[in-house]
Amino acid sequence: MIFAWRAFTARQAPRKGAPYTHNPDGPWPGKQSQFRVMAMASLAGQITFYYLAAVSVASAIFAVTRRNPVHSMLWVLVLFLHVAGIFLLAGAEFLAAVQVIVYAGAILVFYLFFLMLLDLPAEIAGPRFGAHWPLGAGVGLAFAALAWYAHDPELGPAAERVASGGHSLGSLPAIGTTLFTQFVLPFEIASLILLAAIVGAVVVAKRKIGS
Amino acid sequence: MVPVGACLALSAVLFGIGLVGFLGRRNIILMLVSVEIMLNAVNVSLAAFSQHLQDTRGQVVALFVIAVAAAEAAVGLGLVLALSRNRPGVSVEDLTQLKW
Repeated sequence: MIFAWRAFTARQAPRKGAPYTHNPDGPWPGKQSQFRVMAMASLAGQITFYYLAAVSVASAIFAVTRRNPVHSMLWVLVLFLHVAGIFLLAGAEFLAAVQVIVYAGAILVFYLFFLMLLDLPAEIAGPRFGAHWPLGAGVGLAFAALAWYAHDPELGPAAERVASGGHSLGSLPAIGTTLFTQFVLPFEIASLILLAAIVGAVVVAKRKIGS
Repeated sequence: MVPVGACLALSAVLFGIGLVGFLGRRNIILMLVSVEIMLNAVNVSLAAFSQHLQDTRGQVVALFVIAVAAAEAAVGLGLVLALSRNRPGVSVEDLTQLKW
């Protein structure tokens, strides 16, 4: 931060009478301070990432193991907001906004409404897990271990950051251009899926007239 | 810049937790919420790969995953509603008609 500020003020206030010289390294006076600024930003980003990851895992565990379903739901809300933070760090700004609005705002509230179907005191008094839960826990652990084992540590180098018309990777123009050119058929099919889900939910949940 | 390997590890762990919840919990609504946790884990890895490869397509696929999650929530909770009309409680251990 301090380095960035020094670089900024150095650029803003040139010495009086000094002729303007074009600096090919960018707006900062020296390349070294630029690298320092980038390294510090990257360190802050890594700390933020590990905080978000730790809270995500902890809140997911709480969501799965809490006895009270409403408490579980609130832990899932914490999880979704932290995953939105991870999306922001990964440069997926639009995805983070959709995560907060659609997941945390709409889907989770929908689930909370349906919790009213439960007899909450009886639910809290009963066992949380079925009798087969050790099997489920074993399968989950085995899956996570397999996924960790199967992931290739040699992922290849990260691709170069490309500036396409001044838009960043996850910005609305970039997402919209991809969505409506390359993915226009899947987009229409997604709308059909949503329509089928709406009609199906109404048909399944409708009380039969006369019965 | 997010380390892609750490993102994939986080995704695997979150998916495993969601799997444990789906297989272990007794309550149908919480089983559906565990499915949402698993879908979110997949979205994390999609976003990480999108950043690693500098390709917008991963984020677009994640948007489709969110749309399908919304559809799944609607249909699944409609089924829970129809089920709760016929019997009290929404425990999977009460649903044994298909068992022999």
